[in-house]
Amino acid sequence: PSENGQRKRRSRWGASDTKINIPGLPTAISSTMTKEQREQYSVHLRIEEINRKLRTGDIVPHERDRSPSPEPVYNAEGKRVNTRDARYRKKLEDERQHIIEDAIKRYPDFRPPADYRKAAKTTD
Amino acid sequence: PYTVTATGVTDQEATKVVQLMNMVTPEELEDPSEYQEIWEDVQDECSKFGALVDMKIPRPQEGNVVPGLGMIFIRYDNTDDSLTALKALAGRKFADRTVLASFYDESKYEADEF
Repeated sequence: PSENGQRKRRSRWGASDTKINIPGLPTAISSTMTKEQREQYSVHLRIEEINRKLRTGDIVPHERDRSPSPEPVYNAEGKRVNTRDARYRKKLEDERQHIIEDAIKRYPDFRPPADYRKAAKTTD
Repeated sequence: PYTVTATGVTDQEATKVVQLMNMVTPEELEDPSEYQEIWEDVQDECSKFGALVDMKIPRPQEGNVVPGLGMIFIRYDNTDDSLTALKALAGRKFADRTVLASFYDESKYEADEF
């Protein structure tokens, strides 16, 4: 970590001795799978990753992956509503929604997760 | 629950090119400085495993579907190095995402057939 904002940014890579191992979800995958199979598998892995984060509360990314905090917004009781946790939770939920919708469009045989619900209305 | 189950890689499949997935989003690649940072991060780390020859990170193009968008391809001088890299990189974290790795056909890589 650097002081006084010098250009000594941290790499996006996580520690080399920390590997993610989710049982049943290999990360070194065979090139005998078709392009579509690999892409769909990648989508599934990301969905599983997001679900785990939401479930375990591992929501807020490491400092280097964070964006600047917006102005605080408070509700009628004076409680802050756009906390860091709330913002990143929404970001993950939006990403999950987006990649599922995208996969449905791209892969005719893609089956979304059982708990997936189509967004009532997309805002963008 | 998965429609697609993945088959693990075998050493016999090794080619000089490694395909990396689940590392970047098209949105991140749109920003020129972020693209540059991602490029440097990948280049620096992947050079540790052997003789990195070149690499490709497809970038978004307005109004066009870009094949391989969101994926990163790295090519090594030989399959010993690419095998080392694949084993070292698969399952690592990149920007808080889990890296998926696979071998990729070298002639397709050269032809940008992603």
